[in-house]
Amino acid sequence: MTKKQIIIALAGNANVGKSVIFNHLTGMHQHIGNWPGKTVEKAEGTLHFRGYTIDIIDLPGIYSLSTFSIEELISREYIAIESPDLVINVVDASVLERNLFFTLQLAELETPMIVALNQMDMAEKKGIKIDHKKLEEILGVPVIPTVAPSRVGLYELLQASVATIEKGEVAPSKIRYGEEIEEKIQELSKLVKRLQLPYPARWVAIKLLEGDEQIENKIRQMDPNILATARKLAEEIENIHGHSCTTVITSERYEIAGCIAREVQEIVTPEKSPMRERLHALTTHVVLGYPIMAAVILAIFFGIFSFGDYTSGLLSDLFYGLEPIFKSVLGTGILGELVWGGILEGLIAGVTIVLPYILPFYLMLYFLEDSGYLSRIAFLMDNLMHKIGLHGKAFIPMMLGFGCNVPACLGCRIMETDRERLIAIFVVTLVPCAATTVIILGLVGAFVGFQWALLLYAVDLFIIFILGRIAFKALPGDPTGLIMEMHDYKVPHAKTIAKQTWFRLEEFVKMAFPLIILGSFVIKLVEILNLLEPIAYVLSPVTVVWLGLPAITGITLIFGILRKELTLIMLATLLGTSNFAGVSGFGPVQMIVFTLVAMLYIPCISTIGALVRELGWKKALFISVFEVVFAIFIGGIAFRLLLLANIW
Amino acid sequence: MIKLELPLTHLRNGESGVIVSINASPSHHHRHRRKWGFQKRLEDMGLTPGTKVTVVRSAPFHGPIELHVRGSRLAIGRGMAERILVSVER
Repeated sequence: MTKKQIIIALAGNANVGKSVIFNHLTGMHQHIGNWPGKTVEKAEGTLHFRGYTIDIIDLPGIYSLSTFSIEELISREYIAIESPDLVINVVDASVLERNLFFTLQLAELETPMIVALNQMDMAEKKGIKIDHKKLEEILGVPVIPTVAPSRVGLYELLQASVATIEKGEVAPSKIRYGEEIEEKIQELSKLVKRLQLPYPARWVAIKLLEGDEQIENKIRQMDPNILATARKLAEEIENIHGHSCTTVITSERYEIAGCIAREVQEIVTPEKSPMRERLHALTTHVVLGYPIMAAVILAIFFGIFSFGDYTSGLLSDLFYGLEPIFKSVLGTGILGELVWGGILEGLIAGVTIVLPYILPFYLMLYFLEDSGYLSRIAFLMDNLMHKIGLHGKAFIPMMLGFGCNVPACLGCRIMETDRERLIAIFVVTLVPCAATTVIILGLVGAFVGFQWALLLYAVDLFIIFILGRIAFKALPGDPTGLIMEMHDYKVPHAKTIAKQTWFRLEEFVKMAFPLIILGSFVIKLVEILNLLEPIAYVLSPVTVVWLGLPAITGITLIFGILRKELTLIMLATLLGTSNFAGVSGFGPVQMIVFTLVAMLYIPCISTIGALVRELGWKKALFISVFEVVFAIFIGGIAFRLLLLANIW
Repeated sequence: MIKLELPLTHLRNGESGVIVSINASPSHHHRHRRKWGFQKRLEDMGLTPGTKVTVVRSAPFHGPIELHVRGSRLAIGRGMAERILVSVER
């Protein structure tokens, strides 16, 4: 057999074990990127099987093929237009009806397809027995039972894939809607067929009846008469059923999915209140849910910071031990200074300060996500997040933000719409990250008083609340509420978590490191050229006059753009002491104002990188500039208020 | 036993009802679009008229509602749940 290239797409609901299958099939030959022009992740991998080179595309986990979210749009465009050789529909056997609803929609796209009936073990535990042969008969496509974490059925899945591709069969569309709807679909299909669209005519006809915006827009440009006919036919259906045509079609699809599910599954008595059910009840409990959540989050943060602190110390000892060697090689001239102080120190800082925290952070995040606990947190926090116009899911990136704003910004992708994503990202950049915490505790906490440090946190949260609300009111578009499936708890799959962490880490390094290194190079250059003093002078109207701070703070705030904790480190360097208590002209008022400004003034350079990536240049620039102006404004007001209060 | 039509939020924990309709927001600029997006989303998740739903519990402080629907577990924000009309027998 000659070597042949084939493309297989994995499609299915969220959390059905798609990525576990993807990881097992492709091993280390993976590439994670973005869909062109979109901030939706695209995972691709390759494997070799029976003389074929198989490219596997892991499509986003979705529930439908409508246009509600970018993920849904990407998936259907990919399947319809790029037309992969085969779609493997991964189905959660323990929630068959909901999953089949999606399967039926895939079949309507008239693509070659097979079904991986995954999580068979979970289904069995829930007392659900499925006759997969019967399901195969009904759907008219091969159905392979699998248990992805233990690789059960994956070989058969590949065999069936290749066999199906070789046969070249397309999955038959299994939905027959009611007679009155079928008539209209036929009528519209005939009209649509003439248009030479990349989609199946029947599918387009159905989408037109459903009032799908994207398809309507396409048809409007080509033949507005068809659109008018579609609207008229849809109205006729509405008159018969008393519900909108969209509702009628979705209902019928679910009815068929339900019928199939009932026909192939047999419910035997499940175990009595199994462990995961009790765990679910406990973690969503009206009273106990919250202390449990607080304990889990605190434990995780404590764990991450202990690990990070220890590892960071170890790594920096190691790297700075190498300093003399580098200096002897590079010399102590301007070049040596630039290479060591500019480039290498930036790199070392990235490795020693950032990575030890980011790594455990991602591990914990994916552990929580995979196990199912994140959706419970979203459930508990939904109401609070509504106060700033977001819903429960947004609490997760916000929580991440307390560690580092960069993964938090990237984490905002879990929000369904662009509008929610933008608000969430904006709010997240105001959350005090670990580095900001270092400043708050190291300066105000240590030299002014712990209660003042807490007050600063409270002020920050208040500002987040107010600005979040303003953004919520000011941005165009409609707010969406929480609609989320809460999956059964399960033991996370270690290898998949490790892989996800690895790819996120790689993404982080690629994005943040060049910026950190470039930034420290530029600052070193400025230092060597003796420009720091003039810059401090130029900034003094703001720093000295408006904020009441010593002029040198202008320099430290510039360094803080690189990494926020540098503001404190540079302050110690420039003042020549880390005991800030004895410095004249830098009393409690100045410390509080300085910290307040450092806390709010700009996302650090890595976060700006993340903003550019997620939102584009314009919005990233706007958010950054806004936050600088806002921080200076608030800082000046705080300075005057504190003077008035005359506490010290 | 009488048959009542109530918003989903009025159901007690453990009580079941059958969805009658989903009402879109009464006053809004993008009325049509909103209706489509929000209602379509709920329907895509299986909350279509005629479907039986069971309320498992409500999160405190007017939080979301946990539902059993079509063999799966869903969390629905309260604002949305208020617009889902169900018929129950009491």
